[in-house]
Amino acid sequence: MISHPVPPARTYVLVWVALLALLLVTLGSAYVPLGRINAAINLAIAATKALLVVFFFMHLRSAHSMLRIAATAGFFWLAILVGLSLTDFAVRY
Amino acid sequence: MSSVPLPLPRSYLEEGFSLWSWLATIDHKRIAILYAISITLFFFAGGIAATLIRMELITPAGDLVSADTYNKLFTMHGVIMVWFFLIPSIPSTFGNFLVPLMIGARDLAFPRLNLASWYLYIAGGLFTVGALVAGGVDTGWTFYTPYSTMFSNTHVIAAVCGVFVVGFSSILTGMNFIVTIHKMRAPGMTWFRLPLFIWSMYATSIIFVLATPVLAMTLFLVAIERFAGVGVFDPALGGDPLLFQHLFWFYSHPAVYVMILPAMGVASEIITCYARKNIFAYRSMAFAVLAIAIVGFLVWGHHMFVSGQSIYAGMVFSILTFLVAIPSAIKVFNWTATLYKGSIRFDAPMLYLLGFVGLFTIGGMTGLFLASLALDVHLHDTYFVIAHFHYIMVGGSVMAFLGAVHYWWPKITGRLYPDRWARFAAITVFVGFNLTFFPQFLLGYLGMPRRYHEYPPEFQVLNVLSSAGASVLAAGYLLPLFYLLWSLRYGPRAGPNPWRATGLEWQTASPPPVTNFATIPVVTAPPYQYSPLEDARRG
Amino acid sequence: MAEAVIVARQFDDAEQQRRASDLGMWVFLATEILFFGGLFVAYTATRLHDPQAFATASRLTNVTLGSINTGVLLTSSLTMALAVRATKLGLRRASIGFLCATAALGIAFLGIKFTEYVRDWHERLVPVLNFAHVGPHAGGVETFFYLYFFTTGLHAIHLIIGIATVAVVATMAARRRFSPDYFTPVELTGLYWHLVDVVWIFLYPLLYLVART
Repeated sequence: MISHPVPPARTYVLVWVALLALLLVTLGSAYVPLGRINAAINLAIAATKALLVVFFFMHLRSAHSMLRIAATAGFFWLAILVGLSLTDFAVRY
Repeated sequence: MSSVPLPLPRSYLEEGFSLWSWLATIDHKRIAILYAISITLFFFAGGIAATLIRMELITPAGDLVSADTYNKLFTMHGVIMVWFFLIPSIPSTFGNFLVPLMIGARDLAFPRLNLASWYLYIAGGLFTVGALVAGGVDTGWTFYTPYSTMFSNTHVIAAVCGVFVVGFSSILTGMNFIVTIHKMRAPGMTWFRLPLFIWSMYATSIIFVLATPVLAMTLFLVAIERFAGVGVFDPALGGDPLLFQHLFWFYSHPAVYVMILPAMGVASEIITCYARKNIFAYRSMAFAVLAIAIVGFLVWGHHMFVSGQSIYAGMVFSILTFLVAIPSAIKVFNWTATLYKGSIRFDAPMLYLLGFVGLFTIGGMTGLFLASLALDVHLHDTYFVIAHFHYIMVGGSVMAFLGAVHYWWPKITGRLYPDRWARFAAITVFVGFNLTFFPQFLLGYLGMPRRYHEYPPEFQVLNVLSSAGASVLAAGYLLPLFYLLWSLRYGPRAGPNPWRATGLEWQTASPPPVTNFATIPVVTAPPYQYSPLEDARRG
Repeated sequence: MAEAVIVARQFDDAEQQRRASDLGMWVFLATEILFFGGLFVAYTATRLHDPQAFATASRLTNVTLGSINTGVLLTSSLTMALAVRATKLGLRRASIGFLCATAALGIAFLGIKFTEYVRDWHERLVPVLNFAHVGPHAGGVETFFYLYFFTTGLHAIHLIIGIATVAVVATMAARRRFSPDYFTPVELTGLYWHLVDVVWIFLYPLLYLVART
């Protein structure tokens, strides 16, 4: 019998509550005129929600390090694509 | 008292002779052969396009084919050679065949995904051949917008569909290799006991999985924009053609490292065997392939120096491009150091790989000229660029591929080929290659643009030399077809280790049994433990 | 009694098989991140190029339906995670129930999305087909809605595949294929489902919340 750590159901429900709360915050903050900060807040909240899903729902918190590397690599490489192309777009536009 | 020898297990070639046993196989070795046959067919198709190109360029006037036809020829040459030959060549044939054998596994992690990857390759190939048969594509293999999305009157959508599909073949192969190398190594096979070919397959797979999806999305966007007439590459609608180029080259630059890293892996295997020496600085060789794979993702803008991208981006990409040359140079130094004081034998595989080291070095160094912003203004879109990448892709990758074909031929087929013919072919390829492509450096420097079917008369001498070289090169490529196929029937049978090489693949029969090993080996030593003492001991 | 774990020929044991499947799935998820990522780059570049157009266009999206849909999808992630948990604990009925709830929420998401699409059609916001928005940024607005339909459409296709997979896995669970020793298909389906959710988590603010002030 292989044992895998199984979190209690409560953990998942708490994460869900946090996700819904963040949804309300991002929606609400969109109606507060903060100029460019709005976009930054929305992206930050989206990233936080994504991290919650990835760490708790996708079990990356307790996962083998190679899985974490694979997950990080995906997002990191996307960051390279966005970041380096911004050296062109952000300057030219 | 006589002993009755146990019957040998059947080789993977004898495990079924029907067509179905091949088309429905999940044996990585058979899948490798399916790929080998397919990529060879595509190689010669791309070669026919190249032949017509070089025939047209014998004379300054555009007299053999029309300008439109010429555009279709260089497009198909590029599309076929890049996606249907070079990218799958070593990984899908030798990677598939050797990765499980070299790490001591029974097969790859996902054998059915492996077969699926070949069917995706064939499906993509059919789309692309369909585009060709229906009249061709004239955008260049790079499909630049807005020509591809708005103005070309050729079968762009069919062609990009074909490339989209074949991209998933690469992705599945990359997934399979990464998981296999991580999870299925034999007992004792630690990371730093892996053959460098495995390291190069791993680095290549990282590129496969991280770069190819971006190409898939980019081509999807091109197809939809062409079909629907609306999209993100059209300036009239607030879009940007350079967006296409950024997305396209984010994949296509790492793609060229997909083409060279496996060749580098082959080089480390063959040079050590035929110099009878351990590789110089194993760990730096392993880290260098990883560095090339990773830093290779940071340089794509060097294809866009004169495109109109911001000069700031140009500077960033230029300096990063200089950096990526460093690990490649380290590898060239280390192969050279491996040869130093080695006991060198000039068998055919070694001839190919010695050629590889020299020609890759020339190709790589000319890349540095192109990485320099000011020089690139003069050299961009000239024959200098064409010569640069052919020195690496053909002088490098194709020669390493041919070296690999010869080196592992006895393992894969169980037969030996005639070495004299093989050496003659290797020398023919080397001479033909240099005669074809060296004049192109000069042509480019003198200002001849690429993708033109006519040119000023003062360029004719160099073009004629190049076309003459191409005919020699073609002969060099055709020769192995004959003697290798001949060897399948008439060549002497090979033992498990005809080259007295190290590596787990040589510890099993030639050709190997279906499950690769009778018992999974236990590894106790690092690779490339060649020494004069060992050679003397084995006699 | 649950069936014994079948170990494929190439693997040494069930544990190696499970670890290989997990790593393979995460590598596949990384490819999906890069695949959708290309669209995010296209969005970023185009929005930087014409921020006014994106602001105008985003206000024409239906933020109420979009926000409800986000809540629906987040809830489906909860039920999916609970389904995986139940399978690991051998709670067959609970796992089937949670899987069905996940699929139902996914279908609800698609239903709400479809309603949005119909309203967008009536407001003549569909590029190529009936786009009729006029104004100084009409070209950019059309490009925004091109990206809107492209990204949400691609997302919906992934969701449909996810729902189908959940249905298959629920059937397997009903046939007692899973146990605390073997639950790989449920786990991998869960990973895929959560990734589809993560994609939407990023799409939502980029499409619906650009300039709500």
